Amino acid sequence: MELSYQEKLTLIKLGELKKAKFKELVEKTGLEQVAVMRAALGLQAKGLAKLHERSEKVVKLTETGREYAKIGLPEWRALKVLREKGKATLDDLREVLSEDELKPIVGLLRREGWASVRKEDGKLVLEVTEKGLKAEERPIDRALKLLAEKGSVPAKEIEKLVPLKELKRRKIGGEETVTERTVEITPAGEELVRKGIELKKEVSVLTPELIKSGKWREVEFRRFDIRAPVRRIYPGKKQPYRAFLDKIRRRLIEMGFIEMTVESLIETQFWNFDALFQPQNHPAREWTDTYQLKYPKSGYLPEKELVERVKTAHERGLAGSRGWGYTWSPERAMLLMPRAHGTALSGRQLAKGVEIPGKYFTIQRVFRPDVLDRTHLIEFNQVDGFVVGEDLTFRHLLGILKRFAVEIAGAKKVKFLPDYYPFTEPSVQMSAYHPELGWVEFGGAGIFREEMTKALGIDAPVIAWGIGIDRLAMFKLGIDDIRYLFSYDLRWLREAKLVW
Amino acid sequence: MPKFDVSKSDLERLIGKSFTVEEWEDLFLYAKCELDDFWEENGEIYFKADSKDTNRPDLWSAEGIARQIKWALGMEKGLPRYKVEKSDVVVYVDEKLKDIRPYGVYAIVEGLKLDEEALKQMINLQEKVALTFGRRRREVAIGIFDFDRVKPPIYYRAAEKTEKFVPLGFTEELTLEEILEKHEKGKEYGHLIKHKPYYPLLVDSEGKVLSMPPIINSEITGRVTTETKNVFVDVTGWDLRKIMLALNVVVTALSERGGKIRSVKVIYPDFEIETPDLTPKPFEVELDYIRKLAGLELSDGEIKELLERMMYGVKLEDGRAKLLYPAFRDDIMHARDVLEDVLIAYGYNEIEPEEPKLAVQGRGDKFTDFEDAVRELMVGFGLQEVMTFNLTNREAQFSKMHLPCGEHPEECADYFNHPPTELVEIENPVSPKWSALRNWLLPSLLDFLSQNTHEEYPQKIFEVGKATLIDESRETKTVSESKLAVALAHPRVTFTEAKEILDSVMRHLGFEYELEEVEHPSFIPGRAGKIVVGGEVIGVIGEVHPTVLENWGLEMSVATFELFLRPLYTDPYL
Repeated sequence: MELSYQEKLTLIKLGELKKAKFKELVEKTGLEQVAVMRAALGLQAKGLAKLHERSEKVVKLTETGREYAKIGLPEWRALKVLREKGKATLDDLREVLSEDELKPIVGLLRREGWASVRKEDGKLVLEVTEKGLKAEERPIDRALKLLAEKGSVPAKEIEKLVPLKELKRRKIGGEETVTERTVEITPAGEELVRKGIELKKEVSVLTPELIKSGKWREVEFRRFDIRAPVRRIYPGKKQPYRAFLDKIRRRLIEMGFIEMTVESLIETQFWNFDALFQPQNHPAREWTDTYQLKYPKSGYLPEKELVERVKTAHERGLAGSRGWGYTWSPERAMLLMPRAHGTALSGRQLAKGVEIPGKYFTIQRVFRPDVLDRTHLIEFNQVDGFVVGEDLTFRHLLGILKRFAVEIAGAKKVKFLPDYYPFTEPSVQMSAYHPELGWVEFGGAGIFREEMTKALGIDAPVIAWGIGIDRLAMFKLGIDDIRYLFSYDLRWLREAKLVW
Repeated sequence: MPKFDVSKSDLERLIGKSFTVEEWEDLFLYAKCELDDFWEENGEIYFKADSKDTNRPDLWSAEGIARQIKWALGMEKGLPRYKVEKSDVVVYVDEKLKDIRPYGVYAIVEGLKLDEEALKQMINLQEKVALTFGRRRREVAIGIFDFDRVKPPIYYRAAEKTEKFVPLGFTEELTLEEILEKHEKGKEYGHLIKHKPYYPLLVDSEGKVLSMPPIINSEITGRVTTETKNVFVDVTGWDLRKIMLALNVVVTALSERGGKIRSVKVIYPDFEIETPDLTPKPFEVELDYIRKLAGLELSDGEIKELLERMMYGVKLEDGRAKLLYPAFRDDIMHARDVLEDVLIAYGYNEIEPEEPKLAVQGRGDKFTDFEDAVRELMVGFGLQEVMTFNLTNREAQFSKMHLPCGEHPEECADYFNHPPTELVEIENPVSPKWSALRNWLLPSLLDFLSQNTHEEYPQKIFEVGKATLIDESRETKTVSESKLAVALAHPRVTFTEAKEILDSVMRHLGFEYELEEVEHPSFIPGRAGKIVVGGEVIGVIGEVHPTVLENWGLEMSVATFELFLRPLYTDPYL
């Protein structure tokens, strides 16, 4: 029979006492009350002890009663004054009695025969009597003392001294029902004690003291209910979508891409559109589709030769192109806006100079005038970049895109569709076959138009690409509301699965 | 990207051949379209076509798609030929329209047999061309009329605003002015002419109104039905080249339905033209250029054949292809545009992808690596990372932070860039809530906390994000600086807890710092400081002022700090 430390200890003590009050057991075992209770119930369940319960009425002192026990009953305090002075007015008694106690005091002293009362000059005067001078401890005083000593006394015992009614009337004491528990050892219990119980102290925490002193050898470890539920705790954790972006960044670097960064989220229209050969009357540049700044309104254009080449590309064409055939406005190009796509950075990088061959990428926060709802974000992250090399071809472009699908989406199959971007020709859209989502639009690419690359000073073909990661991220994070990518819901963030 | 519905049987009737839906999915690609969706309706299968190219209006209707596929499949070859016969119809254009809507070009298409589907396609094409290619009718507006109800010659003239006609969909006459106010189309497009002294009007020799470009046709001549046999097409705008292209797109589409194209003489005060002009346009490409960039081993003959399947007339000469392309296209600016057509004809999915072998090595931006290391450290303190929006508003940045800058910019005090007094604001925000770029991060974190007051505390969060500041010396007059911001919220939080973390961050980054006590309205007096490193103020630390907490609806104390990361960055290689 498996007994806990507490049960063993309690049983051993019971072996000595045979039958004991619960309180006594607490004292003898030195255990907490709850521990003894649990042990007693445990022993009873195993047939080693029996728990008896007996209810009984007891009397306890009230707040007033406890006060009287300390300073004396009002009649004794009044008598003390009378004994000293012989006689006293009510005003004299006020010094030792409260107003509440003063009112009934005359009746009380007369009933005890401790004082006589008469009127002098319209005032009540009390005079101590012979009986008063000799007065000794009464039953009520003994009851008060007993109650003060024991705290609680069985009602029956008190009744022997003074009627309970009297104590209640004088607000000295009150009645309560208490349950007294006794524990009794059974023959089976005695049998077990006779055979001998090996008692080891049981511990729940293996403390440094136990280890240092070696006492752990003498103790038993409390068995835990390992199935019991535990408190829910939350670690410090990276934001899941950002962790996903981190992962894509690492993967791109592994794939040989160089990271591009930029100093501001604000862009000139020049870099956002013009340098990418997007004509100034392009629908995407209309007021409803492009943010403009109230402050600051315009920025600066880059070096003159570059601006001149871009202007020529738009107006008359470059590199054998006929151009858009309109008058290009530098003021328009200077307008500032929150960057609308990562391709703006590719243009900047190409103008700044690149390694040829070279592979570049950026993960950029971009902005579009849209409303925020379950399928639209007002700002989001774009992953894009370019590959530049003297002998790059359209087949390479497809090869690069396919590689992204395999490396990043884990896709086995891809398909390509013709597409259109103002700054690339030819242009492709790729769908990747995701094992769970089916065909997902996964990225777009194209070869930057020569009108653009020539204007930026690059002669080699430049393959531009962008990968659409949001649907993949939403799948990975198990969400169908795109706003959760930038979640403001702490509960969700705390519960979100680890992204790795 | 124009999207429109086409019926499968209509397409197949135009092509003269049937296909399965799966086959259609691939066929659409020849026309730079994606088959977005398909469904059945009254026993008929419909496709949702998504046309990818904003510069190819000729591909925005069943007729255009069918034509391209017919060629791509080799059922027809080379340049499509269109016969244009002259009519004796003349349109006179009023000089006074010069600053109103100066140009109009016209055509007649005769002998049409339009069924419901053909009618739908005609209206769709007209709308899509005006909307997307014509920039919401500003640059191109198209009207199609029942020619049998029109008595030539026709006049395109500037009209008084008080002139009247019955607009499409109405039963009574309205003045031109009333049309702009009352008619649905008048309300939608009225802004294009409203401020002009006269309004454009197209009328016939009897004074019957055809339309009020670019707003609305008349009820009498402008209603085209399945009964209509002969139509008169009108395209107006500001750029002759552009509206002539739109006219070509419409008339060639109608001719695919068996219509005969008749040209019209348009007489301007200083010149006259005969429209439509369907003369094909020349272009020349080097075959090697195509071959090299495609990465495909194509013979001259193969390239010729691919081009012919894309409706080019091709003549090979000395390694070059002399091309003629149809008058309904105007998007060929460069040999690249021809290359794409060759590749589409070849089929993107027929090309074997090949990974380029480039001797390159990847590398991440070192500062981004540094930011990541800081983020790792913050997570180590048990803080939850958040990612919030850069877009915000003036109120959140200033007023809610107990700073006068919000309503009274003149009272802005210097808070050592926490926040700066100036804010980057958007002129045309979609919502006032998203009308500025944040210039410090603390409001974003308080916003976050304010949306999670029901969630268990302690709440300890951080963000490494951007604050956008004004810097006149830069190209964009702005700079978005990387910052670390921390907010700790729970019932017993104090300044000290924030300082413990700050102190630990500084030790881990190897920087000595000092805190200088500061009075800052966002923080409790005596519990706020500037974070100073090497004599430079890089951040702020403090216990958030109860007024600020009230403004954000927070009932929990918040201790915080925010600092610029750039000054704490050291080159990892040194």
